[in-house]
Amino acid sequence: MEIHESNPWKTLIALSAFILILIVGFITMSKPLLTYKLDMKQSLEEVKNADACFYPWQLNSFLTEETKKVVLFDLRDNFVFGQGHIPGAENLSAQDLTKKESGERLEELKDQGITVVLYGEDQLQANGPWMLFRQVGFRNIKVLLGGYQYYLQHKDNLLATKTDPAFQKEIPKYNFAEMAKPKDGSAATTTPEKKTVVVTQRKKSGGASGGC
Amino acid sequence: MNRNYIYLTILMFILAVGTLVIKKANEPKQIEPQQLLFELIQPTRYVSTDQVAKMIIKNDPSLEIIDVRSAMEFNRFSLPRSVNVPLDSLLNNTSSYLGIAGTKVVFVSDNDIAADQAWVITKRLGVKSTYVMKGGLNQWMETIIDPKQPDPTEPYTAFETYAFRQGAQLYFTGSKAEAMESSKIKVEVQRKKKSGGASGGC
Repeated sequence: MEIHESNPWKTLIALSAFILILIVGFITMSKPLLTYKLDMKQSLEEVKNADACFYPWQLNSFLTEETKKVVLFDLRDNFVFGQGHIPGAENLSAQDLTKKESGERLEELKDQGITVVLYGEDQLQANGPWMLFRQVGFRNIKVLLGGYQYYLQHKDNLLATKTDPAFQKEIPKYNFAEMAKPKDGSAATTTPEKKTVVVTQRKKSGGASGGC
Repeated sequence: MNRNYIYLTILMFILAVGTLVIKKANEPKQIEPQQLLFELIQPTRYVSTDQVAKMIIKNDPSLEIIDVRSAMEFNRFSLPRSVNVPLDSLLNNTSSYLGIAGTKVVFVSDNDIAADQAWVITKRLGVKSTYVMKGGLNQWMETIIDPKQPDPTEPYTAFETYAFRQGAQLYFTGSKAEAMESSKIKVEVQRKKKSGGASGGC
């Protein structure tokens, strides 16, 4: 007869200690500040989500303070922010985004159901942070299409931008093929040969090649 | 048989089943969101159209241009040496064009938003040395294909850039007749001869 069998309580004590350690481990496990809520495929589809965009004319109701449900964050640095910004916007420079307090603030706004609009000098500046926050599950964060520059040009008549597609950046401004064709009148070579990605492995030099 | 052993066995079994729930479904390897956030607030990922033009002209073998526009637009016009991977199909078969050792990947689109989006998505997969051509093809047209002469008051560097762009314009558009010579940059590739077969030795 083994020793522990003589005392069944010993096994029970060991068992409870084991479980206790597991529970403590789970509780104290460091929770990362951000975790992905969308997988890769969903993230890629999310960029086309029109609901995740904030249109320039929507600023109108923000500026006239009709709505209290929107907070604007200016991602440019403090100096540029000081030179001019959308009235009512708060400054949260891109560098500050990584700070813990910013994350907590955004979390707070999310819980209150307030829409957060990010903007930079142009849409590009806010694009990265916007995509990331959508991916980690902030469904209230939107990006201002056109960015600050577009707002600046149209701030006197924001409602008119409803019919102006210029804030949609991702459109060809020119006829590329026409513009880039050879200038000496020779026929444009429009379709170059189809390119495929070829990954060429470097061949090992074959066989014994002499040597000492 | 001791009853405690049975309890222990049951407990271990439950824990083992529990790990199945913890582990997420087969997602590809990704970098942490915190890390991604840190990377995407750096402006180092942007390259100018001049830099891209220079790399194409110099025939930089490490350059890989990925055009994220649709196949139709790509067929109508594309940069030399670029490959077409529309944004929608970015995640299909990524290994064939990403993560090739020693290449610099430059994403290109009409403007730079779509290219930047492709950058963020692939960066989440942990792909290194990827870049975005700032301004995209619109900027390419304005700077390389149709460069504007700088103001006389502008600094000297503006004129240097302009001179480069004029050369680049000739390179990319075919060229006017009188400038034929300069437009063709002849790249002489000198291949090192393979030592054929067994070549003796000492």
